[in-house]
Amino acid sequence: VSFIAPWALVVGGVAAAGTVLLHLLVRQRPAAYVLPTARFIVERPALVSRFATRPRDLLLLAVRVLLLISAAVAFAQPVLVPRHAPRARLVLLDRSAAPASEADALARVRMLLSDGVPTRVIAFDSAATVLADAVKGLDSLGRSAVRGSAHGSIAAALVAARRAGADAGTNADSVELVLVSPVTVAELDPSIDSVRAQWPGPLSIVRLAARPPSNRAWTLERAIAADDPLGPAMSGVRAAASPSSVRLRRDSLTSADSAFARGGGTVVRWDTTGAIAPAALAMGDDVVVAALGRGPPPERGRVIARWAAGVPAAREEGIGAGCIRTVAVGLPLVGDLALRPAFQRVVRGMLAPCDAGDAPTPADSAMVARLAGHGAAAPGVALSAGASEPAPIVPWLLAIALACALTELIVRARPMPKAT
Amino acid sequence: MTAGPYGALLDAVRGVRWPAARRVAGATLGAHPSRLRGNSSEFSEFRPYRQGDDPRRVDWRLLARSDRAFVRLTTDLATLPTAIVVDASASMAFPPPTMDKWTRAKEVAVGLAAVAHADGDPVGLTIAAETPVTLAPRARRSVIAEMMRALDGVVPAANAPLAALVSALRVPRVVVVSDLLGDADALLAAGRLRIAAGGEVIVVHLVAPEELNPPGEALLAVDPEQPTLRRTLDGGTRAEYVRAFGAWLDATASAFRAAGLRYLRAETSEPAAHLVRRVAGEAGGGGR
Repeated sequence: VSFIAPWALVVGGVAAAGTVLLHLLVRQRPAAYVLPTARFIVERPALVSRFATRPRDLLLLAVRVLLLISAAVAFAQPVLVPRHAPRARLVLLDRSAAPASEADALARVRMLLSDGVPTRVIAFDSAATVLADAVKGLDSLGRSAVRGSAHGSIAAALVAARRAGADAGTNADSVELVLVSPVTVAELDPSIDSVRAQWPGPLSIVRLAARPPSNRAWTLERAIAADDPLGPAMSGVRAAASPSSVRLRRDSLTSADSAFARGGGTVVRWDTTGAIAPAALAMGDDVVVAALGRGPPPERGRVIARWAAGVPAAREEGIGAGCIRTVAVGLPLVGDLALRPAFQRVVRGMLAPCDAGDAPTPADSAMVARLAGHGAAAPGVALSAGASEPAPIVPWLLAIALACALTELIVRARPMPKAT
Repeated sequence: MTAGPYGALLDAVRGVRWPAARRVAGATLGAHPSRLRGNSSEFSEFRPYRQGDDPRRVDWRLLARSDRAFVRLTTDLATLPTAIVVDASASMAFPPPTMDKWTRAKEVAVGLAAVAHADGDPVGLTIAAETPVTLAPRARRSVIAEMMRALDGVVPAANAPLAALVSALRVPRVVVVSDLLGDADALLAAGRLRIAAGGEVIVVHLVAPEELNPPGEALLAVDPEQPTLRRTLDGGTRAEYVRAFGAWLDATASAFRAAGLRYLRAETSEPAAHLVRRVAGEAGGGGR
């Protein structure tokens, strides 16, 4: 048995002890003593207080103490809690298209299952599902030929974990939460921080390899001038006239570009714009500090790169089966920026197809660290507190307290024995 | 005579002398110097003859030598009738159940009576009880035994006034044994009158240690002479009580001594024989 409001027990105990003390404190006339010189004593009230060795009215004391104790226990709201395991575990298994190898993900989870800690597995892609039986569920997933949808949602997985944690918390002193995922940018939506805050403990991240960039699988339709400063940075991108899945435009878009995007291609609109000035550009874990031009920030679509101040530098917006990506980063005509590996990785990311499944961008280390959090495992009480229900004995305790209150009136009204 | 519980006391005070504080006026031959000059064999002085003197007391030889008539004076000794007044009010029955104050008062009375009787003085007893008991001063042998029986037959009770009994006595020496918790002011007035009349009044003020230092726990003190007077004696009132009682004791002693009475305060823990010796030994005026 545990108590939802144990402070009520403390208050009740103190009140009961005070009642006992008050019953031991007797105000009465002191024992008479013949003293011929009594006239020299200052006249005062003849009642004195003294502590007796036993209460004067045991029945009244018992009724009052029972009243206080039963009321205190009732207000403390006892709950019947099954026996606790010291630790439980929830595993969030990423079944989206982000992991490079689903077999690897399943193997990692099976390793976690093998240490004997009661574990529940939540498989998630865009939605989360709690596997009723972890071992059988994993076997079933391994046999399944169908993979999850392309986009995963770690926020959805955390919401499911918080719900499952309420059950796990009632049976364990602490609950460990493990995320088995590559943790890509696409899996982190804007609500991730507030959802993450709902879990009162750290998140152990078993980071899987993300599906590798498929720049070998896609081709870029180059439509840039030979002296375009972007050219050297695109040296690692395979280009071909046709068929291509990514089209780079250094000027305004045309209806053909829209048709290309609707058909499943990716159109990257990368104008040469803005005055060149020192700036920092961040995309994933790559940060480029150089003299760059800052064009007007794109207004719509998912942000894929930002300036140091947080202003979007590149966005992409789905259209039909493909997407249009707008990059507001001006490039200097001179300098070695195009030869820097970090900038080349940024350029490859900018020119990659919109389909994240084909080119998932791993979340940066700061985001991963923020997601992981720190501290001890989430206490079971913190997870299950909202789910606790007072035991059905509470109404009976209140009834006993009420009966004692009525009885106290009767007992108090009866003639009291005279003090000695 | 059966001394009973007073045997040891009587043995202890045997040989104690209790001289009078001043010359006594009695004519009966006793142990105290008398104011009267008689014709006893103990020569005192010569005085010129005056008309009316007994011619037989004229010293004829001195007349022959000096041709002037002188009367031969001698010193007479007389008895000193003594009355002992014992307070038997309810306050003397303290502390219960031993009643040490009453016991000590009886012993002092018997001891002083025995000492006076040994000097040949008539001794009387007055017990200021609810029904007063009076034994007239007598010099016969059985008077001490009669006093013992009278004292043992009384149980202190009620509130018996002392002053009226003292005023009614017609003896030159009066001893009052009391706790002075009754009519002390009236007693003082009566004693002052007796002193003015040439008498001697000795007050033995008995105080119990329990009165000076009552028990420590909280008590409802009840005055045995006024049962309606009930006061709570606890830690808050004890110090004030001790101060007030001590002040009263000092004021009482000062008042009695200022009036010319001999005042002796005695705690009941003091042995009776010692107290009797103190009364008798100070009788020469040192007690003032």
